[in-house]
Amino acid sequence: MTELQNDAPVRKGVPLWAQIIIWALLVGLLVIVAMGLNRAQQGTVQPGHVIDNFTLPLFSGYQFEGRSEIHLDDFRGKIVVINFWASWCKPCEQEAAEMQTAWEEYGPTGEVIFIGVDYVDTEPDARVYLKKFGITYPNGPDLATHISQYFRIKGVPETYFVDRDGVLHYVQVGPFSSIDQIRNIIDPILAE
Amino acid sequence: MIADFGYGVLVVSFLTALYSVFAAIYGELKKLPNMVESARRAMLLTWPLLTLTAGILIYLLVNDHYEVQFVYEVTSLSMPTYLKVTAWWGGQAGSLLFWSWLMSAFTSLVTFKKWDRDREFLPWVIAVAGITLAFFLGMNVVFENPFRQLYQTFEGINPYTFQPADSILFTPADGRGLNPLLRHPGMVIHPPMLYLGFVSFVIPFAFAMAALITGRTDDRWIRLTRRWTLWAWLFLSAGLVLGGRWAYDVLGWGGYWGWDPVEIAAFMPWLTGTAFLHSVMIQEKRGMLKQWNMILIVLTYDLVIFGTFLTRSGVLSSVHAFAESAIGPLFFVFIGFTLITSIALIIHRWDSLKSETKMTSLLSREALFLLNNLLFIGILVVCFWGVIYPLISELFTGQKVTVGPPFYERATGPLWASLMLLMGIAPLSAWGHSTVKTLGRAIWKPTVGAVIITSVIYATYTQKIIALISFFLIALVILVTIYEYWRGAHARQRSQGENFFAAFWNLTGRNRRRYGGYIIHLSMMLMAIGIVGIEMFQVETQGTIAVGDSINISGYTIKYKEVASWDDNPSGVNYTRAVVEIYGEDGAYLGNLKPRKDFYFDSQQNMTIPGQLASLKDEVYVLLINWEPISPVGTTFKIFVNPLVNWLWMGSFLFIVGIIIAAWPDKDTELAVVRSSKQVRQASAAD
Repeated sequence: MTELQNDAPVRKGVPLWAQIIIWALLVGLLVIVAMGLNRAQQGTVQPGHVIDNFTLPLFSGYQFEGRSEIHLDDFRGKIVVINFWASWCKPCEQEAAEMQTAWEEYGPTGEVIFIGVDYVDTEPDARVYLKKFGITYPNGPDLATHISQYFRIKGVPETYFVDRDGVLHYVQVGPFSSIDQIRNIIDPILAE
Repeated sequence: MIADFGYGVLVVSFLTALYSVFAAIYGELKKLPNMVESARRAMLLTWPLLTLTAGILIYLLVNDHYEVQFVYEVTSLSMPTYLKVTAWWGGQAGSLLFWSWLMSAFTSLVTFKKWDRDREFLPWVIAVAGITLAFFLGMNVVFENPFRQLYQTFEGINPYTFQPADSILFTPADGRGLNPLLRHPGMVIHPPMLYLGFVSFVIPFAFAMAALITGRTDDRWIRLTRRWTLWAWLFLSAGLVLGGRWAYDVLGWGGYWGWDPVEIAAFMPWLTGTAFLHSVMIQEKRGMLKQWNMILIVLTYDLVIFGTFLTRSGVLSSVHAFAESAIGPLFFVFIGFTLITSIALIIHRWDSLKSETKMTSLLSREALFLLNNLLFIGILVVCFWGVIYPLISELFTGQKVTVGPPFYERATGPLWASLMLLMGIAPLSAWGHSTVKTLGRAIWKPTVGAVIITSVIYATYTQKIIALISFFLIALVILVTIYEYWRGAHARQRSQGENFFAAFWNLTGRNRRRYGGYIIHLSMMLMAIGIVGIEMFQVETQGTIAVGDSINISGYTIKYKEVASWDDNPSGVNYTRAVVEIYGEDGAYLGNLKPRKDFYFDSQQNMTIPGQLASLKDEVYVLLINWEPISPVGTTFKIFVNPLVNWLWMGSFLFIVGIIIAAWPDKDTELAVVRSSKQVRQASAAD
């Protein structure tokens, strides 16, 4: 920039401290986006992966067989459908009725269990949502987002189907649009 | 074979774009005018080349060439031809090509014009636009080739650009079909509009960069790109509105805007673009805010790229996200490159971008415009923070925290209200100098009118304080705008002796940007009425009822008449359609609605089509949620009553009209430019 100083002697330009701040902010932003990108490139937990045990405290009123918290390992031998949702999530509402209908269909067989994991939400809002859609399967908050981080979910709704051996079988990103879609995933796992 | 040819043409287009970048820069640096001319011609050549590429892709789509992976993924035998054509932008690879095609059309248009007086900009405009074009084409060539074909090898069936050894071409019998959600007319037009808006903002950016590089930092670049910017803004706005309408019709949320990260990603360049449109006027009229304009156009361009990146890289999850793709890192590098270069250039030229005059009054129009800009940036900061916050929180606390619609609504609400207040005051203030007294004299009548209107609303419609504030501001802006219009027409009527309507018409024609702008303000207020209505007064209910039963909701009775379900085999869809009758408060029959659920065989997906009964007062919006053929209980409906929502759509329409008026080419544009830059003529012209 030295040659520019000749034609305008009073040049001050952008002060050095301002330049430092601008570049630092820019680099910070790029670093954050890069880390987000890195995570996104990993994607969610992939089918074939054995899912580790986790604990989900349940909302009162949504206890499962009298228990106020459940562990994934309790359900070895059953097919576990883990649905991540949130009360602020509009696409979740799209599948809420289907999920509940599917639960009413498969729950009584005793071979399939549905678990709702409420992601980044407040309890009052979550309760309104559960009540609005008449959801009865066990539901609880994802405290400190441990469970969703383990699954590396990309957002809500997302649904993970774990087979009888605790192996992840299928990942649904985004809402289900029909009950048949859910059946088409569960039935083959049941038949195994 | 045809697909291979398509890929060949794509590669040639890419190389042509690259060549034009290098030829432009090299020619300019070595002072070789022929080289620059060659660069210009190469840029002009990219458009026919890409049109050929696109033509080949469309040929493959329309003729069911399912051996091509892209065709297999987005079309199926049962789709009508027009949808097969528009499936071009229904997937990642095709929509990238679509983007490049539009981009090359725009750069060709720009390079086509006469450059006599702006010769020094030409090479740099070509270089900047060409780099952007080459980047997008490069992604198509390297990562997202739409012409990849399916080959069967020993490892199974996979897509390849080049046929691997020991393989045979594999042609599936039918394709997977376009996602039914994307078969809506709104969705057919929404992406092209948005892309047009995105792409056309590249042009003002290219000129801004050319101005920075050449050091010709007067307002020439702004005058040259003024209309581009308006058209860009038109397309971007239309894209956003159509997206909202699509969501309203198709997603069954009873809403039009969900503060979804990708919606915000498209909204952010609109915010900076809107601020830019306002602040360039100050540079033109008063020679101020030059640095600021540069920053705004850089922000707009990079937000366009950033938004595209967010949508396509999978960094943010959303209803709009494309399938995972390898293009993320490359995009990231490109964003870093453009941000760093453009910020470095602005810092380099900072002093030559100093204002020519000083702000003299806090109530002058330029001061109010600056405030308007700050408010837009405020909203941008809120949006940006909301989008980026989950990444930050995860990084620093290990816990992911996302923000939902309430955050955006609460944080931007007061900013929108302030913007509306400004929209009411700014048109009444004068350039350079305004005082409380002059402003007060102009504004008291509209204010009184707005107070009266608000009182009537208080007495008859609502007592909610936030709604009343909103309605007051809306009334104020509408009255001020009409008052301004009336004043102008009245003055003209007296001085020119025209009748009122002729005066009105000529006034608009003579100063399109100003009065087009007022129409845009008015349309914004109509949209605001709709937004206030649906956000604050929406009522919803869900119920399962048998045939003959009814549901009551805010004065309406919805009576369930019948339901039928049938297959439409040629189209590959099963339709389930219910008929409900709507009765008003007094029991008057208002009409019947036919909410539907369409099930698409190819993609195994449902689409919910609402029944809508629209009026200016509200809209009854009925969704068929669940239907079990043998269930004795009946059918589940979800019903929304959305007050005032149709004002939103009417406003959107007027909005587009306003932009077209403002952006319509003047007959004497060149004349006006010559006069203002050389001051050799004294003719009277626009502005």
